Amino acid sequence: MANPEVLAELKKIPWFGTLSPEHLEKLAGITTLRPVKAGETLFKEGDRQDYVYIVLEGRVALEIFVPHRGKVRIYTCEQHDVFGWSSVTPLVRQRTAGATAVLNSRVACMDAEKLRQICDEDRDLGYLVMRRLANVVASRLMVTRLQLIDMFANPEEKNA
Amino acid sequence: MTSLLPQSAPPTAGHPGKLIQPDWAEIVRITPETEGISTFWLRFIDPQVRERYHFQPGQFNMLYLPGYGESAISMSSDPEDEERLVAHTIRFVGTVTKNIGRLKVGDVIGVRGPFGTSWPMKQIEGRDLVLACGGIGLPPLRPAIYHIIRNREKYGKVTLLYGARTPKDLMYPDEHEEWQRHDIHMEISVDRGDENWDGRVGVVPMWFYNFRIDPRNTAVLTCGPEIMIRFVIYEGLARRIPAERIFVSLERNMKCGQGSCGHCQIGPYFICKDGPVFPFSVLQRYVNVEEY
Repeated sequence: MANPEVLAELKKIPWFGTLSPEHLEKLAGITTLRPVKAGETLFKEGDRQDYVYIVLEGRVALEIFVPHRGKVRIYTCEQHDVFGWSSVTPLVRQRTAGATAVLNSRVACMDAEKLRQICDEDRDLGYLVMRRLANVVASRLMVTRLQLIDMFANPEEKNA
Repeated sequence: MTSLLPQSAPPTAGHPGKLIQPDWAEIVRITPETEGISTFWLRFIDPQVRERYHFQPGQFNMLYLPGYGESAISMSSDPEDEERLVAHTIRFVGTVTKNIGRLKVGDVIGVRGPFGTSWPMKQIEGRDLVLACGGIGLPPLRPAIYHIIRNREKYGKVTLLYGARTPKDLMYPDEHEEWQRHDIHMEISVDRGDENWDGRVGVVPMWFYNFRIDPRNTAVLTCGPEIMIRFVIYEGLARRIPAERIFVSLERNMKCGQGSCGHCQIGPYFICKDGPVFPFSVLQRYVNVEEY
Protein backbone atom coordinates (compact mmCIF):
# COMPACT_ATOMS: atom_id res chain seq x y z
CA MET A 1 0.00 0.00 0.00
CA ALA A 2 1.53 3.31 -1.10
CA ASN A 3 1.91 6.23 1.26
CA PRO A 4 -1.30 8.33 0.82
CA GLU A 5 0.67 11.58 1.00
CA VAL A 6 2.93 10.45 -1.86
CA LEU A 7 -0.07 9.29 -3.85
CA ALA A 8 -1.79 12.65 -3.37
CA GLU A 9 1.35 14.52 -4.50
CA LEU A 10 1.80 12.38 -7.61
CA LYS A 11 -1.84 12.89 -8.57
CA LYS A 12 -1.21 16.63 -8.75
CA ILE A 13 1.32 16.10 -11.56
CA PRO A 14 -0.56 16.27 -14.88
CA TRP A 15 1.22 13.29 -16.46
CA PHE A 16 0.37 10.97 -13.55
CA GLY A 17 -3.29 11.85 -14.06
CA THR A 18 -3.23 9.78 -17.24
CA LEU A 19 -2.19 6.57 -15.40
CA SER A 20 -4.52 3.87 -14.11
CA PRO A 21 -4.96 3.66 -10.29
CA GLU A 22 -2.96 0.43 -10.33
CA HIS A 23 -0.01 1.98 -12.14
CA LEU A 24 -0.15 5.07 -9.98
CA GLU A 25 -0.08 2.91 -6.87
CA LYS A 26 2.98 1.03 -8.14
CA LEU A 27 4.91 4.25 -8.79
CA ALA A 28 3.86 5.81 -5.50
CA GLY A 29 5.15 2.67 -3.74
CA ILE A 30 8.73 3.38 -4.86
CA THR A 31 8.58 7.15 -4.26
CA THR A 32 9.54 9.23 -1.25
CA LEU A 33 9.10 12.97 -0.72
CA ARG A 34 11.98 15.17 0.27
CA PRO A 35 12.18 18.84 1.22
CA VAL A 36 15.33 20.57 -0.02
CA LYS A 37 16.58 23.90 1.26
CA ALA A 38 17.88 26.56 -1.12
CA GLY A 39 21.56 25.86 -1.69
CA GLU A 40 21.29 22.20 -0.68
CA THR A 41 22.85 19.72 -3.08
CA LEU A 42 20.78 16.71 -4.12
CA PHE A 43 23.58 14.99 -5.98
CA LYS A 44 26.95 15.79 -7.46
CA GLU A 45 28.61 14.89 -10.72
CA GLY A 46 30.08 11.41 -10.40
CA ASP A 47 27.59 10.25 -7.76
CA ARG A 48 25.89 6.90 -8.18
CA GLN A 49 22.56 7.17 -9.99
CA ASP A 50 19.97 6.04 -7.50
CA TYR A 51 16.89 8.21 -7.98
CA VAL A 52 14.80 9.94 -10.61
CA TYR A 53 13.42 13.22 -9.29
CA ILE A 54 10.35 15.32 -9.94
CA VAL A 55 10.14 18.89 -8.68
CA LEU A 56 6.95 19.37 -6.69
CA GLU A 57 7.70 22.94 -5.61
CA GLY A 58 10.58 25.37 -6.01
CA ARG A 59 13.47 25.29 -8.43
CA VAL A 60 16.44 22.96 -8.81
CA ALA A 61 19.51 23.81 -10.91
CA LEU A 62 21.55 21.34 -12.91
CA GLU A 63 25.20 22.30 -12.93
CA ILE A 64 28.37 21.05 -14.53
CA PHE A 65 31.80 21.80 -13.18
CA VAL A 66 34.01 23.25 -15.89
CA PRO A 67 37.74 23.59 -15.12
CA HIS A 68 38.81 27.25 -14.86
CA ARG A 69 35.16 28.37 -14.93
CA GLY A 70 33.70 26.66 -11.90
CA LYS A 71 30.13 25.46 -11.74
CA VAL A 72 28.10 26.35 -14.81
CA ARG A 73 24.37 26.34 -14.37
CA ILE A 74 22.99 24.73 -17.51
CA TYR A 75 19.30 24.34 -16.74
CA THR A 76 16.81 24.91 -13.97
CA CYS A 77 14.01 22.46 -13.29
CA GLU A 78 10.67 24.03 -12.43
CA GLN A 79 7.52 22.57 -10.91
CA HIS A 80 6.75 19.10 -12.35
CA ASP A 81 10.04 18.91 -14.26
CA VAL A 82 11.80 15.54 -14.17
CA PHE A 83 15.53 15.39 -13.59
CA GLY A 84 18.04 12.62 -13.02
CA TRP A 85 16.21 10.72 -15.75
CA SER A 86 19.34 9.05 -17.08
CA SER A 87 19.39 6.78 -14.02
CA VAL A 88 16.50 4.85 -15.60
CA THR A 89 18.59 4.06 -18.65
CA PRO A 90 22.03 4.00 -17.09
CA LEU A 91 24.36 4.11 -20.02
CA VAL A 92 26.73 6.02 -17.80
CA ARG A 93 26.43 4.72 -14.29
CA GLN A 94 27.19 7.99 -12.60
CA ARG A 95 25.69 11.46 -12.56
CA THR A 96 26.87 13.64 -15.43
CA ALA A 97 25.65 16.85 -13.78
CA GLY A 98 25.03 17.98 -10.24
CA ALA A 99 21.66 19.16 -8.86
CA THR A 100 21.30 21.95 -6.31
CA ALA A 101 18.11 23.57 -5.06
CA VAL A 102 18.04 27.25 -6.00
CA LEU A 103 14.92 27.99 -3.99
CA ASN A 104 13.45 26.11 -1.05
CA SER A 105 11.96 23.14 -2.84
CA ARG A 106 10.21 19.81 -2.46
CA VAL A 107 11.00 16.89 -4.72
CA ALA A 108 9.60 13.41 -5.28
CA CYS A 109 12.40 10.81 -5.37
CA MET A 110 11.69 7.66 -7.34
CA ASP A 111 13.97 4.67 -6.74
CA ALA A 112 15.58 4.16 -10.16
CA GLU A 113 16.46 0.49 -9.68
CA LYS A 114 12.93 -0.37 -8.58
CA LEU A 115 11.46 1.71 -11.40
CA ARG A 116 13.46 -0.31 -13.93
CA GLN A 117 12.22 -3.54 -12.33
CA ILE A 118 8.59 -2.39 -12.41
CA CYS A 119 8.96 -1.35 -16.07
CA ASP A 120 10.46 -4.76 -16.94
CA GLU A 121 7.68 -6.64 -15.16
CA ASP A 122 4.79 -4.49 -16.37
CA ARG A 123 5.55 -3.62 -19.98
CA ASP A 124 2.41 -1.49 -20.35
CA LEU A 125 3.56 0.75 -17.54
CA GLY A 126 7.11 0.48 -18.83
CA TYR A 127 5.99 1.86 -22.19
CA LEU A 128 4.18 4.79 -20.57
CA VAL A 129 7.16 5.63 -18.37
CA MET A 130 9.62 5.41 -21.24
CA ARG A 131 7.39 7.48 -23.49
CA ARG A 132 7.22 10.14 -20.79
CA LEU A 133 10.98 10.05 -20.35
CA ALA A 134 11.45 10.31 -24.12
CA ASN A 135 9.41 13.54 -23.99
CA VAL A 136 11.59 14.83 -21.18
CA VAL A 137 14.75 13.99 -23.14
CA ALA A 138 13.32 15.59 -26.29
CA SER A 139 12.52 18.82 -24.47
CA ARG A 140 16.00 18.90 -22.91
CA LEU A 141 17.49 18.36 -26.34
CA MET A 142 15.45 21.28 -27.67
CA VAL A 143 16.73 23.52 -24.88
CA THR A 144 20.30 22.37 -25.45
CA ARG A 145 20.05 23.09 -29.17
CA LEU A 146 18.72 26.59 -28.59
CA GLN A 147 21.42 27.28 -26.00
CA LEU A 148 24.05 25.91 -28.37
CA ILE A 149 22.89 28.25 -31.12
CA ASP A 150 23.54 31.14 -28.73
CA MET A 151 20.63 32.98 -30.32
CA PHE A 152 21.01 36.17 -28.28
CA ALA A 153 24.64 36.71 -29.21
CA ASN A 154 25.56 39.86 -31.06
CA PRO A 155 25.59 38.85 -34.76
CA GLU A 156 29.06 40.31 -35.19
CA GLU A 157 30.34 38.24 -32.30
CA LYS A 158 28.85 35.12 -33.87
CA ASN A 159 30.50 35.80 -37.20
CA ALA A 160 33.86 36.60 -35.68
CA MET B 1 -12.11 39.38 -49.22
CA THR B 2 -11.01 40.70 -45.84
CA SER B 3 -7.23 40.79 -45.38
CA LEU B 4 -5.76 38.78 -42.53
CA LEU B 5 -3.02 41.32 -42.19
CA PRO B 6 -3.18 43.87 -39.37
CA GLN B 7 -3.84 47.37 -40.62
CA SER B 8 -0.87 49.62 -41.23
CA ALA B 9 -1.10 53.12 -39.94
CA PRO B 10 -0.69 55.70 -42.71
CA PRO B 11 3.06 56.00 -43.28
CA THR B 12 4.88 59.09 -42.14
CA ALA B 13 2.08 60.08 -39.81
CA GLY B 14 4.42 62.77 -38.62
CA HIS B 15 4.50 64.35 -42.06
CA PRO B 16 1.57 63.05 -44.14
CA GLY B 17 2.34 62.56 -47.79
CA LYS B 18 6.11 62.82 -47.42
CA LEU B 19 7.49 59.32 -47.59
CA ILE B 20 11.12 60.00 -48.28
CA GLN B 21 12.06 63.22 -46.52
CA PRO B 22 12.92 62.78 -42.84
CA ASP B 23 11.84 64.97 -39.99
CA TRP B 24 14.58 66.07 -37.61
CA ALA B 25 14.70 65.14 -33.98
CA GLU B 26 17.03 66.02 -31.16
CA ILE B 27 18.46 63.37 -28.86
CA VAL B 28 17.35 64.50 -25.42
CA ARG B 29 18.41 61.49 -23.39
CA ILE B 30 20.50 58.36 -23.85
CA THR B 31 19.94 55.44 -21.50
CA PRO B 32 22.58 52.69 -21.59
CA GLU B 33 20.75 49.37 -21.32
CA THR B 34 23.25 46.53 -21.66
CA GLU B 35 26.62 46.17 -23.36
CA GLY B 36 26.25 47.54 -26.89
CA ILE B 37 22.61 48.53 -26.47
CA SER B 38 21.23 51.95 -25.51
CA THR B 39 17.90 53.74 -25.66
CA PHE B 40 17.79 57.07 -27.48
CA TRP B 41 15.01 59.45 -26.49
CA LEU B 42 14.11 61.79 -29.34
CA ARG B 43 12.11 65.01 -29.53
CA PHE B 44 11.01 66.33 -32.93
CA ILE B 45 12.40 69.78 -33.51
CA ASP B 46 9.36 71.05 -35.45
CA PRO B 47 6.58 71.58 -32.86
CA GLN B 48 3.94 70.75 -35.47
CA VAL B 49 5.52 67.39 -36.20
CA ARG B 50 5.88 66.77 -32.47
CA GLU B 51 2.17 67.43 -32.05
CA ARG B 52 1.08 65.38 -35.04
CA TYR B 53 3.40 62.41 -34.68
CA HIS B 54 1.82 59.33 -33.15
CA PHE B 55 2.76 55.67 -33.34
CA GLN B 56 1.17 52.39 -32.41
CA PRO B 57 2.92 49.67 -30.34
CA GLY B 58 5.05 47.51 -32.64
CA GLN B 59 5.65 50.08 -35.38
CA PHE B 60 9.09 51.30 -36.44
CA ASN B 61 10.84 54.40 -37.71
CA MET B 62 13.63 54.74 -40.24
CA LEU B 63 16.40 56.57 -38.41
CA TYR B 64 18.64 58.55 -40.72
CA LEU B 65 22.19 59.53 -40.00
CA PRO B 66 23.53 61.79 -42.79
CA GLY B 67 26.58 60.29 -44.42
CA TYR B 68 25.86 56.79 -43.14
CA GLY B 69 22.29 55.93 -44.15
CA GLU B 70 19.15 54.66 -42.51
CA SER B 71 18.22 51.89 -40.15
CA ALA B 72 14.76 50.55 -39.25
CA ILE B 73 14.25 50.62 -35.50
CA SER B 74 11.08 49.86 -33.54
CA MET B 75 9.84 52.35 -31.02
CA SER B 76 10.35 51.24 -27.43
CA SER B 77 8.60 54.01 -25.49
CA ASP B 78 5.07 54.65 -24.38
CA PRO B 79 2.98 55.84 -27.36
CA GLU B 80 1.10 58.08 -24.92
CA ASP B 81 4.26 59.61 -23.46
CA GLU B 82 3.32 62.96 -21.94
CA GLU B 83 6.58 64.62 -22.94
CA ARG B 84 5.97 63.42 -26.52
CA LEU B 85 9.37 61.80 -26.61
CA VAL B 86 9.93 58.84 -28.88
CA ALA B 87 12.44 56.21 -27.75
CA HIS B 88 14.36 53.67 -29.79
CA THR B 89 16.40 50.95 -28.12
CA ILE B 90 19.30 50.30 -30.46
CA ARG B 91 21.90 47.58 -30.68
CA PHE B 92 25.08 48.94 -32.22
CA VAL B 93 25.72 46.31 -34.83
CA GLY B 94 25.76 47.84 -38.35
CA THR B 95 27.37 50.92 -39.85
CA VAL B 96 24.39 53.18 -39.16
CA THR B 97 23.64 51.97 -35.64
CA LYS B 98 27.31 51.93 -34.63
CA ASN B 99 27.55 55.59 -35.63
CA ILE B 100 24.29 56.42 -33.91
CA GLY B 101 25.99 54.93 -30.87
CA ARG B 102 28.61 57.67 -31.09
CA LEU B 103 26.01 60.47 -30.92
CA LYS B 104 25.52 62.55 -27.82
CA VAL B 105 22.64 64.33 -26.14
CA GLY B 106 21.84 67.42 -28.21
CA ASP B 107 22.79 65.82 -31.54
CA VAL B 108 20.16 65.67 -34.27
CA ILE B 109 18.98 62.67 -36.27
CA GLY B 110 16.53 62.19 -39.17
CA VAL B 111 13.34 60.25 -38.60
CA ARG B 112 10.91 58.83 -41.15
CA GLY B 113 7.84 57.05 -39.92
CA PRO B 114 6.03 55.56 -38.22
CA PHE B 115 5.90 52.57 -40.55
CA GLY B 116 4.32 49.17 -40.57
CA THR B 117 1.66 47.24 -38.77
CA SER B 118 1.22 47.25 -35.02
CA TRP B 119 0.44 44.73 -32.30
CA PRO B 120 -3.34 44.20 -32.54
CA MET B 121 -4.11 45.65 -29.12
CA LYS B 122 -7.78 46.26 -29.89
CA GLN B 123 -8.32 42.85 -31.48
CA ILE B 124 -6.89 40.98 -28.47
CA GLU B 125 -8.87 42.81 -25.81
CA GLY B 126 -10.55 40.43 -23.39
CA ARG B 127 -7.99 37.67 -23.96
CA ASP B 128 -5.24 36.18 -21.86
CA LEU B 129 -1.94 37.29 -23.33
CA VAL B 130 1.43 35.62 -23.54
CA LEU B 131 4.15 38.07 -24.58
CA ALA B 132 7.16 35.93 -25.51
CA CYS B 133 10.35 37.74 -26.31
CA GLY B 134 14.07 37.40 -26.14
CA GLY B 135 17.09 39.67 -26.30
CA ILE B 136 16.46 42.76 -28.41
CA GLY B 137 12.88 41.50 -28.95
CA LEU B 138 11.70 43.14 -25.75
CA PRO B 139 11.93 46.79 -26.96
CA PRO B 140 9.27 46.42 -29.71
CA LEU B 141 6.95 44.87 -27.10
CA ARG B 142 7.52 47.52 -24.45
CA PRO B 143 4.99 49.98 -25.99
CA ALA B 144 2.45 47.13 -25.88
CA ILE B 145 3.26 46.58 -22.20
CA TYR B 146 2.64 50.28 -21.51
CA HIS B 147 -0.63 50.07 -23.42
CA ILE B 148 -1.70 47.03 -21.39
CA ILE B 149 -0.84 48.80 -18.15
CA ARG B 150 -2.91 51.83 -19.18
CA ASN B 151 -5.81 49.57 -20.10
CA ARG B 152 -5.22 46.70 -17.69
CA GLU B 153 -8.94 46.00 -17.19
CA LYS B 154 -9.35 45.24 -20.89
CA TYR B 155 -7.06 42.20 -20.84
CA GLY B 156 -7.16 38.89 -18.97
CA LYS B 157 -4.15 37.15 -17.53
CA VAL B 158 -0.95 38.67 -18.93
CA THR B 159 2.32 36.76 -18.87
CA LEU B 160 5.60 38.19 -20.09
CA LEU B 161 8.20 35.57 -21.01
CA TYR B 162 11.57 37.14 -21.45
CA GLY B 163 14.80 35.41 -22.32
CA ALA B 164 18.33 36.78 -22.39
CA ARG B 165 21.79 35.40 -22.81
CA THR B 166 22.95 36.05 -19.23
CA PRO B 167 21.53 37.92 -16.20
CA LYS B 168 23.54 41.03 -17.11
CA ASP B 169 21.88 41.12 -20.54
CA LEU B 170 18.40 41.68 -19.13
CA MET B 171 16.94 44.96 -20.32
CA TYR B 172 14.84 47.51 -18.43
CA PRO B 173 15.42 45.78 -15.06
CA ASP B 174 14.26 48.91 -13.21
CA GLU B 175 10.80 48.57 -14.75
CA HIS B 176 10.16 44.88 -14.09
CA GLU B 177 8.80 45.48 -10.61
CA GLU B 178 6.44 48.17 -11.88
CA TRP B 179 5.14 45.88 -14.62
CA GLN B 180 4.50 43.12 -12.10
CA ARG B 181 2.69 45.56 -9.86
CA HIS B 182 0.23 45.95 -12.72
CA ASP B 183 -0.50 42.24 -12.65
CA ILE B 184 1.82 41.30 -15.47
CA HIS B 185 3.28 37.96 -14.52
CA MET B 186 6.94 37.82 -15.56
CA GLU B 187 8.95 34.71 -16.26
CA ILE B 188 12.57 35.49 -16.99
CA SER B 189 15.03 32.91 -18.19
CA VAL B 190 18.66 33.14 -19.19
CA ASP B 191 20.71 30.84 -21.38
CA ARG B 192 23.59 30.82 -18.96
CA GLY B 193 23.29 31.42 -15.26
CA ASP B 194 25.87 31.62 -12.55
CA GLU B 195 25.75 30.61 -8.91
CA ASN B 196 24.26 33.98 -7.92
CA TRP B 197 21.33 33.72 -10.31
CA ASP B 198 18.27 32.18 -8.65
CA GLY B 199 15.99 32.62 -11.67
CA ARG B 200 15.35 30.23 -14.50
CA VAL B 201 18.05 28.87 -16.76
CA GLY B 202 16.63 27.58 -20.01
CA VAL B 203 14.88 29.01 -23.02
CA VAL B 204 11.65 30.95 -23.49
CA PRO B 205 9.66 28.24 -25.35
CA MET B 206 10.14 25.86 -22.38
CA TRP B 207 7.73 27.98 -20.38
CA PHE B 208 4.89 26.33 -22.25
CA TYR B 209 5.84 23.02 -20.60
CA ASN B 210 5.44 24.37 -17.08
CA PHE B 211 2.27 26.42 -17.25
CA ARG B 212 -1.29 25.82 -18.26
CA ILE B 213 -2.98 28.13 -20.70
CA ASP B 214 -6.49 28.30 -22.03
CA PRO B 215 -6.01 28.00 -25.79
CA ARG B 216 -9.57 29.13 -26.44
CA ASN B 217 -8.84 32.53 -24.99
CA THR B 218 -5.11 33.10 -25.33
CA ALA B 219 -3.23 35.29 -27.78
CA VAL B 220 0.54 35.16 -28.18
CA LEU B 221 2.69 38.14 -29.18
CA THR B 222 6.27 37.20 -29.92
CA CYS B 223 9.41 39.03 -30.95
CA GLY B 224 13.09 38.16 -30.83
CA PRO B 225 15.55 35.94 -32.66
CA GLU B 226 13.69 34.10 -35.41
CA ILE B 227 14.77 30.72 -34.10
CA MET B 228 13.16 31.55 -30.75
CA ILE B 229 10.02 32.81 -32.48
CA ARG B 230 9.81 29.55 -34.44
CA PHE B 231 9.88 27.45 -31.27
CA VAL B 232 7.39 29.72 -29.50
CA ILE B 233 5.06 29.22 -32.46
CA TYR B 234 5.54 25.42 -32.37
CA GLU B 235 4.72 25.33 -28.67
CA GLY B 236 1.73 27.65 -29.07
CA LEU B 237 0.30 25.60 -31.94
CA ALA B 238 0.96 22.35 -30.03
CA ARG B 239 -1.25 23.74 -27.28
CA ARG B 240 -3.96 24.48 -29.84
CA ILE B 241 -3.66 28.24 -29.89
CA PRO B 242 -4.91 29.09 -33.40
CA ALA B 243 -2.37 30.52 -35.83
CA GLU B 244 -4.60 33.60 -36.24
CA ARG B 245 -3.95 34.44 -32.58
CA ILE B 246 -0.18 34.07 -32.65
CA PHE B 247 1.31 37.39 -33.69
CA VAL B 248 4.95 37.68 -34.66
CA SER B 249 7.13 40.70 -35.29
CA LEU B 250 9.82 40.05 -37.88
CA GLU B 251 13.00 41.88 -38.56
CA ARG B 252 14.55 42.16 -41.99
CA ASN B 253 16.91 44.40 -43.86
CA MET B 254 14.44 47.22 -44.44
CA LYS B 255 15.47 50.04 -46.73
CA CYS B 256 12.63 52.10 -48.16
CA GLY B 257 10.00 51.52 -45.47
CA GLN B 258 7.18 51.66 -48.01
CA GLY B 259 7.19 48.31 -49.85
CA SER B 260 9.01 49.57 -52.93
CA CYS B 261 12.54 48.19 -52.86
CA GLY B 262 11.93 44.52 -51.99
CA HIS B 263 14.81 44.22 -49.51
CA CYS B 264 12.54 42.95 -46.78
CA GLN B 265 10.28 40.72 -48.83
CA ILE B 266 9.04 37.40 -47.46
CA GLY B 267 6.91 35.49 -49.94
CA PRO B 268 4.49 38.05 -51.34
CA TYR B 269 4.77 40.32 -48.30
CA PHE B 270 6.96 43.28 -47.49
CA ILE B 271 7.94 43.30 -43.82
CA CYS B 272 8.14 47.10 -43.84
CA LYS B 273 4.64 47.63 -45.20
CA ASP B 274 2.63 44.46 -44.55
CA GLY B 275 4.54 43.83 -41.29
CA PRO B 276 6.56 43.87 -39.12
CA VAL B 277 3.68 42.39 -37.09
CA PHE B 278 1.92 39.48 -38.76
CA PRO B 279 -0.57 36.90 -37.56
CA PHE B 280 1.22 33.60 -38.00
CA SER B 281 -1.63 32.32 -40.18
CA VAL B 282 -0.36 34.67 -42.89
CA LEU B 283 3.24 33.46 -42.68
CA GLN B 284 2.56 29.79 -42.04
CA ARG B 285 3.42 28.57 -45.52
CA TYR B 286 6.77 30.34 -45.58
CA VAL B 287 8.31 29.54 -42.21
CA ASN B 288 9.20 25.92 -42.81
CA VAL B 289 11.18 26.88 -45.85
CA GLU B 290 14.90 27.07 -45.28
CA GLU B 291 16.15 30.65 -45.57
CA TYR B 292 12.58 31.92 -45.59
